[in-house]
Amino acid sequence: MLATAALVVLGLATGVAGAVGVRQRADLVDGAVARSGELTVAAQQLYRALSDADATAASAFLTGGVEPVALRERYQADIADAAAALAVVSGGGAGDGRGANAVARIAAQLPVYTGLVETARVYNRQGVPVGGAYLREASGVMRERLLPAAQELYDAVSAELDEARDDAGAFPWFAVALGVLTIAALVVVQRFLTRRTNRVFNVGLVVATVAAVAVVLWLGLSALVAAGRLEASHDRGSEEVARLADARIAALQARADESLTLVARGNGQAFETDYDKMMDRLAGDDRSGGLLVAGDADASTRDALAAALTEARNWDSAHKQVRQLDNDGQYAQAVTASVGGEPTSTASIAGRLDERLGAAIEHNSEVFRQEVRGAGGSLAGADIGIGLLATLLVLGAAIGIQRRLAEYR
Amino acid sequence: MRARLAVAVALLSALVLAGCGGSDTPPPGANPAEPARPVGVQDPAVLPTSSAAAAGACNPRASYRPTGALPAAGRMPSGSAMARIQQAGRLVVGVDQNNFRFGYRDPKTGNLVGFEIDLARELAKAIFGSPDKVLFRAITTADREKAIQEGRVDVVIRSMTMNCDRWERINFSTEYFSAGQAIMVTRDSPIKGIKDLAGKKVCAATGSTSIRNIAAKAPDAVPVSAPDALDCLVLLQQLQVDAVSTDDAILAGFAEQDRGTKILPDRFTEEPYGMAVKKESVDLVRFVNGVLERMRADGTWTRLYNAWLSSLGSTPQPPAPQYRD
Repeated sequence: MLATAALVVLGLATGVAGAVGVRQRADLVDGAVARSGELTVAAQQLYRALSDADATAASAFLTGGVEPVALRERYQADIADAAAALAVVSGGGAGDGRGANAVARIAAQLPVYTGLVETARVYNRQGVPVGGAYLREASGVMRERLLPAAQELYDAVSAELDEARDDAGAFPWFAVALGVLTIAALVVVQRFLTRRTNRVFNVGLVVATVAAVAVVLWLGLSALVAAGRLEASHDRGSEEVARLADARIAALQARADESLTLVARGNGQAFETDYDKMMDRLAGDDRSGGLLVAGDADASTRDALAAALTEARNWDSAHKQVRQLDNDGQYAQAVTASVGGEPTSTASIAGRLDERLGAAIEHNSEVFRQEVRGAGGSLAGADIGIGLLATLLVLGAAIGIQRRLAEYR
Repeated sequence: MRARLAVAVALLSALVLAGCGGSDTPPPGANPAEPARPVGVQDPAVLPTSSAAAAGACNPRASYRPTGALPAAGRMPSGSAMARIQQAGRLVVGVDQNNFRFGYRDPKTGNLVGFEIDLARELAKAIFGSPDKVLFRAITTADREKAIQEGRVDVVIRSMTMNCDRWERINFSTEYFSAGQAIMVTRDSPIKGIKDLAGKKVCAATGSTSIRNIAAKAPDAVPVSAPDALDCLVLLQQLQVDAVSTDDAILAGFAEQDRGTKILPDRFTEEPYGMAVKKESVDLVRFVNGVLERMRADGTWTRLYNAWLSSLGSTPQPPAPQYRD
């Protein structure tokens, strides 16, 4: 009687702990991990859009009183992208207070920024210099407030992603331990009964034992596979995305620096120094890799990185020519070499570099989604399966013992 | 029972309140509603330490007299500072790119234009025979002396007041424009003169004579400094300062860009503008003064004034040169 109760309790506990645990982890994978992944992508898009708006506004200013339509449209698209990404991030409830505070600051400062840029545009069209002062103020808002807030937001959301992934990939030690305990108890009971009844097998208990072993194996294996897929989603997905996003942002910052050096006109040493810093980060001190090294990226990403590195080198040498022209007093030529439409201008080169990185980010985001889906798939049905097996276990144990005892009596 | 419940509720709400107080303090600089301001604004301004040279210790307008006739363009006397510039193939001039009518970037063309830009071209013409052999470097107000001392520019032509303090470290040409400090406010401002500035925020460029003059003549005002005087116009338009006080010539440029402002009639200092040159290059100063003499005599100065500064009022006589020999 006591043995029956103990086995039933152990079996039930294993089933409940296992099924609930699997359900929780599956929910984390489908919910928190997938959601944080999307939020990370949105936060990265927000940073990119803001940074590109800064670079584009400066380039448009350089081209003279009436900016080219393409630059205007690009700026407007950037602002729209930034607003859309901000809506995604704030709608997703970017977790802790740090993220919420960053969202509040961006929401408050983005209209201030666009207002300053529009003021600069109007004055610029009137041909008066105060437009330049407004552009500098706008760029200051971008660099001192918006971009740092966007960076904080990105950090907060990625931290959330890491946390969710760790939780979802945790091994179900408790349920597995209960399962092992159940198996041990079943073995003890069967040996006791064998001695008492001289029968080697008891169908009910054998079924219960097989069910218990299956529960433990399913729990353990599904957890291991899911953790493996989640790790892959990090290593081949979100980690690559983070690195590529870093590279893209460094490139955009360098581009804005290049334009602002020309806007500042001989007084832009701070921007030029920052350009060097960004280029060092992007392509390394000796322009041999930096954030663009192949590392253990997959083949498609490696190709994109190699192409991006070539563009970065081309850009850097074209940039040196721009600086040379400006330093030699050929300002108009320097501006053309920087913002002109021909394929050798630094604007065109930086544009191609951005495209390469953008495509690689898209590719790795897709890898991330696939791996997360895979992790979710490996847990799919496990809760119901484990529940059914546990029921079988309990029934088998109860029936087996009762029968044998009845027979014995 | 009821009393005990009340105590428990009080304790609980105290705990909740304490918890809120702890987490409500925002991190520094994270206030979303903080207004935007130009980069590098100091409010209140950090004033430069007053200089040793007292006012009136010298005649700030007196420069070095030109020696004889000007050398012909392209044939600068060997060993002179001018010959070195000719060797380099271009004259490097530190200018403003934000001072409407004096030195500013024409947004339509992207080129630097203005009265001071044309003066620089005249210098280049005198040295090379071509007004285009000049490289303009936009520099900030605070950077003017350092740019000369470090040799980053040959000459600074950037609404720079000649005063005895600066004469200690650099040389000036003779006066090429007579300015004076005035006050600009929004059109409906209650501020009528310098005496109304007490407790008000007044903006001027960092490292300018204007910011010192505010501290000296309106000690109760709150000086605010910005890297460029033009940033002060932005601050005034955004209602972040109550007044801008700088040279009337600069303010006239502001008034042209914003009809919602007015310049108060008081002009409470004299600010003679000179071209600044390295302390060692006395020969270059004498040469520049020779060029200025010629421009005053042959009507070039008047032509340039009419071209750029006619909005300041009727064309005056060019400032008369004064020499210390």
